[in-house]
Amino acid sequence: MDDPVTQMLLGVAARDRAAFRQIYSAASAKLMGVLLRILGNRAEAEDALQEVFTRVWLRADRYDPTKGAAMTWLVAIARNHAIDRLRARKPEQSEDGEAELVVDRAPRAETRLIAAGEARRVTHCFATLEPDRAEAVRGAYLDGLSYQDLADRYAVPINTMRTWLRRSLAKLKECLDQ
Amino acid sequence: MTDTPLSPLGDDDALAAEYVLGVLDLPDRIEIEARIKSDTAFAARVSAWEGRLSGLNDAFDDAPVPNLLPQIEARLFPTPARPKRLWMGWLSGAMAALVIIGAAYLVLQPASPPGVVVAELGTASGGLSYEARYTGRQLQITRVAGTAPGTAQDHQLWLIAPGASPVSLGLLREGTLSVDYPRPPAGWVLAISVEPAGGSPTGAPTGPVILTAEISA
Repeated sequence: MDDPVTQMLLGVAARDRAAFRQIYSAASAKLMGVLLRILGNRAEAEDALQEVFTRVWLRADRYDPTKGAAMTWLVAIARNHAIDRLRARKPEQSEDGEAELVVDRAPRAETRLIAAGEARRVTHCFATLEPDRAEAVRGAYLDGLSYQDLADRYAVPINTMRTWLRRSLAKLKECLDQ
Repeated sequence: MTDTPLSPLGDDDALAAEYVLGVLDLPDRIEIEARIKSDTAFAARVSAWEGRLSGLNDAFDDAPVPNLLPQIEARLFPTPARPKRLWMGWLSGAMAALVIIGAAYLVLQPASPPGVVVAELGTASGGLSYEARYTGRQLQITRVAGTAPGTAQDHQLWLIAPGASPVSLGLLREGTLSVDYPRPPAGWVLAISVEPAGGSPTGAPTGPVILTAEISA
């Protein structure tokens, strides 16, 4: 509850427009980072950011501070909207270029996982997975890769990828819930 | 790591994890988004996974962003009315392929007390009709004639400010849709489109607009 963004979000839930402006200042750069990385296109990311903050205003009363940090809730709204947009694209659009972007970005994701709080736990738990499977989970979460994208990238049938990923998630859950 | 057998995730937990991870295709995501709204146990699984994986959020770098607040606030908050029919431009542009079926009509009672009917969206034949009330704090929309689309589709309500993109106010199902919202001023438009179950996946109308009503002073 000391978290200032949580206070702002509770203010937004109470229909406080000043709090809405504050939360835009506090969170827009991060959420833009999320949208830009997943969508890979600035114009679309800016359009998506407007929709995300519209949803923040309309849904703020559903935020429950006992269930998690406000920033986690905000990032979830941004990721979900970006991934829905990505999945709604025509298949040929996602073929070009995007795979290269992902390859460029993957190593950076590794180095950016700084050792602090939840990030440290995640880093530790991801290290219990085989490296390529950990990378597949990260690629999905950070770059919006679908089962089909992952199956293509690792040259395995989609059902195999599903089995891999579900096992990795079970392992992560066991480690993260400890 | 030891090789003790791992307890596999239950089906719902695996589905919640896959949704949060984002690997599913659009029809599955739409189905899950509808379920999150109606199934609190499942919604709790989803937020638990959001929490578990939130440590990865540090890997998203901040990105420079222009000040989009004016556009966002223009979508959300009424400004003094400018009843220019800019929304017609939007309808004929983005929605050119879509068919407007109903001739909508609007009954507006100026200075209505809370909880009264402020607008009706209906087809000329009266086959399908929605009633919009304003309570002083909320817009409340209820279907008063006709039927909801089948299970594969939903009616979705949109509010369109002059010159702005449509903003979803939610899905119109059984009962009343209540939205915390200031009273939209004259020149704004309420529109209802037919969308896949769970609502438009893109944040903009994707199906035919079947009813519209412009709010007039």
